[in-house]
Parts: sequence; C-alpha cells; structure tokens
Amino acid sequence: MQEGIGEVKIRIPKSISKGEIIKVQALIKHPMETGLREDKKTGEKIPAHYIHDVSIYYGDTMITRCDWTIAISTNPLITFYLKADRSAPLKIIWKDNKGGVYQETVQINPQ
Amino acid sequence: MWGKLISGGDINIMEQKRDDIALTRRRFLKMAGTTCVSLLITESLLSFPSSAAEEKIKKNEIAEGENINETLKRLFGNRKIEMSHVDLKAPIIAENGAVVPITVISDLPMDKDNYVKKIYIFVEGNLKPHIATIDLAPANGKAEFAMRIKMRKSSNIRAVLETSSGKLYNDIKPVKVTIGGCGGL
Repeated sequence: MQEGIGEVKIRIPKSISKGEIIKVQALIKHPMETGLREDKKTGEKIPAHYIHDVSIYYGDTMITRCDWTIAISTNPLITFYLKADRSAPLKIIWKDNKGGVYQETVQINPQ
Repeated sequence: MWGKLISGGDINIMEQKRDDIALTRRRFLKMAGTTCVSLLITESLLSFPSSAAEEKIKKNEIAEGENINETLKRLFGNRKIEMSHVDLKAPIIAENGAVVPITVISDLPMDKDNYVKKIYIFVEGNLKPHIATIDLAPANGKAEFAMRIKMRKSSNIRAVLETSSGKLYNDIKPVKVTIGGCGGL
C-alpha cells in the first residue's frame, strides 16, 4: 500500500475579487490501481483500487462531479473553474471502490 | 613586420603543426563518416520490427474503433454530434501512457439556463473507451476541465460535450503513446 494515501492539496488564488472566475487545482495521493497489473515478485494480480467518484460542493450546492474508471492516472490532479460570487466553503470529496472516502474543505472569501 | 619577428626555424615548425592538424582533421572526418554510416545501418535494422508492430496496432484500432462507435451509440443514440465549440488539448506524443495530461475547453456559455452539462472523455484504444464523465454547473463560470489519464496504446482521445439544451459537440485528438499505461496489457 502506498503511504500517505488520501493526502490532499488544493490550490486557489491568494486574492479573489467578487464574481471572479477562479482556477482551482486539487491533487490527491492515491494509487489508482487498475486491477490489470501483476505483482512482479508473486505474479499475482494486484486488486483494483481506484477513485470512482469526485464530488465538489460550493456551499451546499454540488457544482462539479466526476464519474471515473480505472483509466485515471495515479495521484489524480484535477483543474476546474469556479465563479466566486459569495463567501462559502469549497468542499471536495473523493470516494474509492474499496470504500475509502477522503475530503478537504477550503474557504472561498471573495473581497 | 611579422616576417621580421618569426625566424626561419619557427616557420618550419608552424607548417609541420599545420600538417598535423590537417591530418587529425582528416582522420576525424573519416571516423565520423564511418560512425554515421554504421548508425544509419543499425537504425534501419531496428526500424523493421517496430513498423510491423505499428501495423498490428492499426489492425487492432479498427476492431476497437467499432467499440467506440457502439459506446457512442449506446450513450447518444442517433443524435448528431457537431465538430465545433470544443478544444481538446492533449500531447501529440505521450512518453508515458500512465500519465497523459488533457484539457477540455469550450467557448460555450455557462449561463443559468444554457450551460455545458456534461463532458464525456473517451480513449478509443483502451479496453473500455468511455473513461470519465464530468458534470458541470453554471456555478463553474467557465467550461474548462483538466485531468491526467491513462492510455494503453496510441489512439484517438475524444471529448464530447452535452449542453443543458441537449446539443452535442466533440473534438478528437490522436495521441502517440511510447509506453502503455494500464500495466500487463
């Protein structure tokens, strides 16, 4: 198992003006195991372990949702945009096929 | 003026040196020539098996190209997909198929009643071509999304956009993969 699984980094601009469309980048540490790879030592297949759902909430409303398969790279990085028209938390939830749930919240405070 | 400064003996030495330089240069050119020829030969020998492999890939792509059509038909039926309003950015050559960065950009509006609702991503060479769906909302303010995907082999990537009014737009980009990214396949 990869160490630090579920470690999250979210990047937003330092200063945000009201109504500005900001770029948000979110990185999560995850093996994104396809289930097709074999362990080189034992020759056994490594079971699939991947994030299949990413939900992004701005305040209470869901603004973006990703429905993923195994074909997403290890340590998934997503870049999306957000219209910062009010002060509200931005919450991102990642769910994997083994029941793992990882979440992180950043506060959006437009000036 | 220079004639006065340099004595006869010195001139002889200089000429000898020049001859030496000329010789080494000739030798160097000869060596470079032979290495170039040998490199060309080895390259041409190496290129034979790779072109055969490429042909194999092409044949497979045709077989799986039908799969992508089936997937598109299953998802969108007989609805028309227009080739506009979408810009799919992907590398021409991906050295590592396990990490292929892609960006989908659209100039379509993100208004309350008219916005880009969904982005579908397809990798035609993967076993399951439909790899991701992204739901967007007017709150995004801009129809742009980027992520990193895995590709098994060289093939087309396709991004299909669905608007809230039900219109479909797409863009297709071929990507050449040097090392496949799904492991074992």
